[in-house]
Amino acid sequence: MLKSKTYELEDPLAVQEYFHSRRWTDGLPVVPPTPQSVQEMLDRANLDPEHLIGIEPVRNRRMTAEKLAVNAVMAGCLPDHFPLVCESFSAMLKEPFLLHGATASTGGCAVLVVINGPVREQLGMCGTFNVLGSSDRATTVIGRAIRLILCNLLDVRPGDLDRSTLGHPGKFSYCIAEDEEHTEWLSLAEDRAMPRGTSAVTVMAAGSPRQIMNEWTTEPEAILDTFVAEMKACMRHYSIWPGNYAIIIPPQLRTHFEKAGWSKKDIRKYVFEHARIQRKEWADCGKASVVGSQGEQEYAALTDEDHLLVIAAGGPAGGFGAVIPPWFGTKSKAVTQALGVCLDCGPQ
Amino acid sequence: MTITILDPTHEEDSKVFQMASGLKNLKGARIGFISNGKKGTYPFFNVLESLLKNEYEVGEVVRVVKKNYSAPADTEIMNQVPKWDAVVTGVGD
Repeated sequence: MLKSKTYELEDPLAVQEYFHSRRWTDGLPVVPPTPQSVQEMLDRANLDPEHLIGIEPVRNRRMTAEKLAVNAVMAGCLPDHFPLVCESFSAMLKEPFLLHGATASTGGCAVLVVINGPVREQLGMCGTFNVLGSSDRATTVIGRAIRLILCNLLDVRPGDLDRSTLGHPGKFSYCIAEDEEHTEWLSLAEDRAMPRGTSAVTVMAAGSPRQIMNEWTTEPEAILDTFVAEMKACMRHYSIWPGNYAIIIPPQLRTHFEKAGWSKKDIRKYVFEHARIQRKEWADCGKASVVGSQGEQEYAALTDEDHLLVIAAGGPAGGFGAVIPPWFGTKSKAVTQALGVCLDCGPQ
Repeated sequence: MTITILDPTHEEDSKVFQMASGLKNLKGARIGFISNGKKGTYPFFNVLESLLKNEYEVGEVVRVVKKNYSAPADTEIMNQVPKWDAVVTGVGD
């Protein structure tokens, strides 16, 4: 039995205005969350309305399946999308993710969700064209649901708990599927210890993507030097501290790695060894006052090569790639979780 | 014909937390300052401590610093809180 308070409104337009006036949306129109549509979400995931997805520890807030479903409907999710919304949020509630800090910080990151496994194809996700800009319905609405849940259940609205100085457009929706069909590489989830064939989500507190381009070499090292240069720029201009970086490698550049026999592990090793700057480099970009006496000290972008998330995605043509920096150092760590089947948590 | 819609917010919030009652005065009180460790908090708390002691006759100011400024206060800090009459926290950059 659904427990949320109900409201009777005249028509769909009245619903929009009602939600906007209460800051219950992200500025875009929402799908009215009717009892029937919310119940369909819960039925698809076989979840009781009171089922606990988790508890947000800072304010001791219970995140129930019903409330997640209300926001998922609003975001435009279909019932088949809902299990991924729940799994993503469950991963965000894991302690290493540090949900409160990541969503409240002035640093203004967004939650990047990467989907792996058979569920991508089942839901029509597309990890190719325009992958970072609403490539398909499923990833777009799942990413939006995450944001609406943060706003409505944890008050992560601009100026309330969300203290972002700038934020970035990924806050509307920042969900992608890896393009597992056009690569021989292990998927991100497999790289992070998930068995082959498992559908999984990876969540990362992430800055905005920085696009790179190198169409003038086929050498893996040279291509990676371009990615590394962007990471080093981030360390100089933004934060010098190491953390989870993600790099997205589309097919045109991927071909060169695959022809040369480079795996994702080889890429991680190279980037780990080369993405380093010295503190004195801050002096080149206006931060001389904080160089101090430790100018020669070296800082690595990654504390461990496995902290680099290598993702195969993007459209087939173009020598582009992207670097997605961490929110802030190792304070928040990426979390990968399998899309599970709960055998004993169905409706009573 | 009307549409019935559900509330998307966390309706239980008001039951979880209640505002603490304020102190009648600060004379002789023990006040805790929880700093997130950011540089700007130190001069701010210096001024605040001086103000509370000199103008409001606060008895003692206890200053602690969180290990991780993006995370909730550490358990060791939270265990001290019941010994204080009031706490100043939430000061950011």
